[in-house]
Amino acid sequence: MIAWLSATDHKRIGVLYIVTAFGFMVLAGLMAEGIRTELAQPGLQLVDPNTYAQLFTIHGTLMMLFFAGPLAIGFANYLVPLQVGAADMAFPRLNALSYWLFLFGGLIIVSGFLTSSGAAAVGWTAYAPLSELPYAPAPGMDLWIAGVVLVGFSGILGSLNFIVTIYARRAPGMTMFRLPLFTWSMLVTAVLILVAFPSVTAAGAMLFIDRHLGGAFFDPARGGDAILWQHLFWFFGHPEVYIVVLPYFGIVSEVVPVFSRKPLFGYRAMIFSLVAIAGLSMGVWAHHMFTTGVVFLPFFSLLSLFIAVPTGIKIFNWIATMWRGSIRLTVPMLWCIGLIYVFTIGGITGVMVASPPIDFQAQDTYFVVAHLHNVLIGGTVFAGFAGVYFWFPKITGRFLDERLGRLHWASWVIGFALTFVPQYELGVLGMPRRVADYAPTAGWTELNLVSTLGAVVLGLGMLPFLAAVVIALRQAPTAEPDPWGGNSLEWAADSPPKRHNFDWLPPIRSERPVFDARLAAERGGEPRERGDGETRGGAVRAPGRSNPEAGPA
Amino acid sequence: MAVAAGAAGALAVLLAGCLPQPASTQGASIASLYQVFIAGGVVVTAIVWGLATWALIRYRRRGDELPTQVRGNVPIEAIWTLTPLVAVLGLFALTLGSLQVVDANDPSAVQLDVTAFRWGWQVTYPSNGRTVSSLTGGSVAIVVPTDRRIQISLSSADVNHAFFVPAFLFKKDAIPGRPTSFEIDVPNAGTYPGACAEYCGIGHDAMPFTIVAVSGSTFDAWLATGHLAGEGAPSP
Repeated sequence: MIAWLSATDHKRIGVLYIVTAFGFMVLAGLMAEGIRTELAQPGLQLVDPNTYAQLFTIHGTLMMLFFAGPLAIGFANYLVPLQVGAADMAFPRLNALSYWLFLFGGLIIVSGFLTSSGAAAVGWTAYAPLSELPYAPAPGMDLWIAGVVLVGFSGILGSLNFIVTIYARRAPGMTMFRLPLFTWSMLVTAVLILVAFPSVTAAGAMLFIDRHLGGAFFDPARGGDAILWQHLFWFFGHPEVYIVVLPYFGIVSEVVPVFSRKPLFGYRAMIFSLVAIAGLSMGVWAHHMFTTGVVFLPFFSLLSLFIAVPTGIKIFNWIATMWRGSIRLTVPMLWCIGLIYVFTIGGITGVMVASPPIDFQAQDTYFVVAHLHNVLIGGTVFAGFAGVYFWFPKITGRFLDERLGRLHWASWVIGFALTFVPQYELGVLGMPRRVADYAPTAGWTELNLVSTLGAVVLGLGMLPFLAAVVIALRQAPTAEPDPWGGNSLEWAADSPPKRHNFDWLPPIRSERPVFDARLAAERGGEPRERGDGETRGGAVRAPGRSNPEAGPA
Repeated sequence: MAVAAGAAGALAVLLAGCLPQPASTQGASIASLYQVFIAGGVVVTAIVWGLATWALIRYRRRGDELPTQVRGNVPIEAIWTLTPLVAVLGLFALTLGSLQVVDANDPSAVQLDVTAFRWGWQVTYPSNGRTVSSLTGGSVAIVVPTDRRIQISLSSADVNHAFFVPAFLFKKDAIPGRPTSFEIDVPNAGTYPGACAEYCGIGHDAMPFTIVAVSGSTFDAWLATGHLAGEGAPSP
């Protein structure tokens, strides 16, 4: 226990992050079940409107800031030092501080439920002036601000740590263009966090000054500007949605090559598309503000539409990696395939709401609710589960049961479709988001009922996952260092790795050092020199094949 | 996957078929833009799902032989970079065209000043000062003519709200300290329900209103007398 409380080892901190993030996910998921139960039928049956507002506020805040982001940070803590061939992060104690800031930030926000007036109830976007003192007098609002500021600092400190680690702690031979895609995605994400998080951290501090220290940044009644909050929030908030997606794209880019037994198709294109998405994501924040009438619509619309291009490159390159491969449908691979199918729909509806006239209809309706859950569940969560099933043997030395894993996967694919496809339609019909109730005459009852049943399927779908984890942890560790036939350096370490990670490293001559070493061992010689990803279009001869020529025609 | 495929097909049909019948000319422009985007989305989905499904069926592991280690293919990657780029530029052009319709101004439009508050709407017709408003939990009927352009100026007395009429496929925020406005043509007489779309507190879901579109002469008579000919007084 003391060992965990005082841990500075990146692997322990990584596990702390991952377990804590899933803890917040279960809590926020239960809140979602409460929301869906209330909406199953017209009329207020379960909660009053204020409690309902607390549920959707804390659900969104926890899922975005305390699950989706920190789960990625957890994987990155565990994997980045391993993937670059280092013994630990550059600043292990700073790393521990980041974790504790994150944990207590979340606990402080949730503690709002213990106050007599409840937790924050203004939506996770906390639009001013609704979040100002006259409209949100409850201390739960201040606890929300404190938690957001703490997790903001946690993200900023953690990002510095990742950037330094990736630049300065790479093993000999690990050039930038030999880094695994997950590590690349964390580097890009860390830069995005450094740009985005100061904005929300400052906005939180400014809101607190407004509320308690006589400020008037966001209060138009005293000369402030309500729109300023939206700019500051979304200048963080839109990069944030890429902060919680790019690392997960990195996970998919690790899993798909391993279970296709091919290198990642277009390695450099995948890196450049990451950088392009990150760059564009800093210029699209006001597409959340199309209906305010105070932003220049064509600029933010065009940049938002452009993001479809690098995102499309990623999806096509994953399919091209599978093309003419040797595909094994393991549970991690199933999650990635599910992502390719489901995330595509979320991307397309994202293109739709990037067009201001369509957004005039869809903004603040269930269409947007469906879209954001489409990308966050069909992208972030599916890839997060892929990562858990993929690296669980590395982290614990044990395997998650395949049959329970497939059940978990199937119930989430079906549950996702049942929950969110009806919400797209509800949005088109005009059901606003964040309503606790709706009229029986609105014509929304059946679709809401189907959506709630889907949420039940999603909730029950977590049970086989939790069962698989419990069963696995009760068994003895049996995993070899490289149970899947992996590519990157973590598969050269023991499962679980030693305190200092590596006793030896294979030669690093491509982005797949462990693959190269395995191939060399099979051939009884040194791995073949093949450049560091520059031989695009070239092909390495496969054993037993006379014609190495290939392309995903 | 069959479930997901069925769901997506159903989604496309539902979205295209169940768009509300647009009650405004601006809404008709938005609806046709919606349909173009949905059609494009169905094509993209068919391509991605088709390729992925083919790869899954055709390239399942059949033996221990290592597949050819292809690392990339510049011409093919250029195709799936440039084609989407051209496609989104096309969508952007259509977006600009629709924006011109939605944002067009007519100086002779009938003026309405709408003030949102927690939790209701107050509507003033500046031409003669007539004012109608709703009480919390109640609705207000906003009478507009079918033969003239209408300009609605929005403001808020407290927090952010949004003026949303699903049948117009349109909403605009009402922001304290930042007046906004939009214009609309409602060619057909009828009653169109509306609501607040921006979360504004516990009464957010209880500030309905209706747009009551009537002929120009009926509107003029209503504006002068406050009585709606033939239909009785609008509900308070």
